[in-house]
Amino acid sequence: MSPWIRLVIYLVGAPLLGGVLAGWDRRISARMQSRRGPPILQPFYDVMKLCQKENVVVRRSQNYYIFFFLVLVIFTGALFFAGSDLLLVVFALTLAAIFFVLGAYKASSPYSFIGAERELIQMMAYEPMVLLVAIGMYMVTKSFYVHEIASHNTLLVLALPGIFLGFLYTLEIKFRKSPFDLSSSHHAHQELVRGITTEFSGRTLAMIEIAHWYETVFLLGWVYLFFASLPVVGVVASLLVFVFVILVDNVFARLKWQTAVRGAWAVAVVLGFGNIVVLSLLPLLR
Amino acid sequence: MSSFSKSPWIIHYDASSCNGCDIETLACLTPLFDVERLGVINTGNPKHADIFVVTGAVNEQSRDVIRNIYHQLGEPKVVVAVGACAASGGIFAECYNISGGVDSVIPVDVYVPGCAARPEAIIDGVVQALGILERKKKEMAAMANSLDKALYLRADKSDAPEILALQKTAYQSEGEIYGDDSVPALHQTLEEIQKDFDRPERVFIKAVVNGKIIGSVRGYAAEGTANISRASVHPYFQHRGIGHRLLQEIEKAFPNVKRFEVFTGQKSERNLKHLRKHGYKEFKTEQGTPAITWVYLQKERK
Repeated sequence: MSPWIRLVIYLVGAPLLGGVLAGWDRRISARMQSRRGPPILQPFYDVMKLCQKENVVVRRSQNYYIFFFLVLVIFTGALFFAGSDLLLVVFALTLAAIFFVLGAYKASSPYSFIGAERELIQMMAYEPMVLLVAIGMYMVTKSFYVHEIASHNTLLVLALPGIFLGFLYTLEIKFRKSPFDLSSSHHAHQELVRGITTEFSGRTLAMIEIAHWYETVFLLGWVYLFFASLPVVGVVASLLVFVFVILVDNVFARLKWQTAVRGAWAVAVVLGFGNIVVLSLLPLLR
Repeated sequence: MSSFSKSPWIIHYDASSCNGCDIETLACLTPLFDVERLGVINTGNPKHADIFVVTGAVNEQSRDVIRNIYHQLGEPKVVVAVGACAASGGIFAECYNISGGVDSVIPVDVYVPGCAARPEAIIDGVVQALGILERKKKEMAAMANSLDKALYLRADKSDAPEILALQKTAYQSEGEIYGDDSVPALHQTLEEIQKDFDRPERVFIKAVVNGKIIGSVRGYAAEGTANISRASVHPYFQHRGIGHRLLQEIEKAFPNVKRFEVFTGQKSERNLKHLRKHGYKEFKTEQGTPAITWVYLQKERK
């Protein structure tokens, strides 16, 4: 399939799939709590409603940052699905997150500030592991290009088990799920009001939601890369990982940010870096 | 049903009293009732909410909080008063620090009876609120689309209740600025405003869209000066030139005067800016209430 076709499928399909996944997330969470839960299409109803609400702002400029956040998240996914350089994808992802944080800082409300600061801490926590994932994939496939990694003939997860587990840890942070829902929580924790999204409303909040849909699809696409030589297994594994993330979300309480950062770095060093050390030593042993 | 009634996000505030209704409201989220199946999210952020659920009677401390939260909800919004205390003050109504039900502070759309209100009744109240939310949204969309067709007419006595309701909605933001209850526009009664209509020298102008009054201003002429006051525009339609047109229309309504006079609070930057743009200049200040200093502005007719 040509990269352009993949790109178009991603641009159109990702928000639809991401929205449905967000609906499943809420439904599965509800079932885990022995509730009925909202309809699967609930995230779409929410976004449609938000688009019709009044857009209350502290400063008008805060909304431009969120617009760029959305654009850059879409750009990140587009680079990934078009088969571009994995390192470039990582940097685009970081830039997108930075715009989200800047938007929250711009709104100058104490809750939004704490949310923004915690989002930065979360980025600090996951960033080393994300880079190690890219490096690990390079060591096995000798390429940073997503399309070459995807067409590699070995099952990456067998060579990179530590990095895969570390990436699961990172996903929990990236999806802002418990125990890492520090900057903004989906649930009824209200001590930060809504953390980083507190000052965004109406259409801007809808943009944040849509950005999350794109992000979900992109991150699950990355999970798929670990299983890319067996496509069916890859799709099933991505969905299982998604369910696993929801399970963890429902089982754990929130961690303190210090513990979150230390935990994430410990995982990055032990599982991520350890995996890479083993990979580089293996040829010497043979 | 549009997306509005499928995705009602709620903010809940307990104003005072025994917490019975407070607990019953949260009981709606439990697996037994699970309001999330209706798309309800219980959010702590007024800026994300559509429905403001208030329990308990209003006291001196909670009054400002209620007004503040109400003000932060984006339009369209509805208010549900849950329980006897929120409706009327309930058994606390006679207490020295209780000002009554929620409607003594903000406009209420749905009252849920009960002491404590049962979760079923609260859910029913929220469902009824959805209908009102839907209606408000339609009205606003229709009105926002025809703002350029707004009519600027003389109001008569039959318009008094609608103008008063509009005035109280529009002046919420002023109450917010001064942080106390002393803004006179928020205290005017229907009798007072009707009496004003009976005075022959008074002129009331209203801005009408689709049969609804979304803006008004009034004034009277004495000794060659037209005194203009109480310019109000519905919060949802502000910054779209309606206040500007109202001022022009009321000035036209006094063809024989040489001078126009208005006043506003010293901290109402937006009003001051608007008036200066129209050529009004400050000429005196006067202590109005403990919190408000009135700034008087005037303009000579050229």
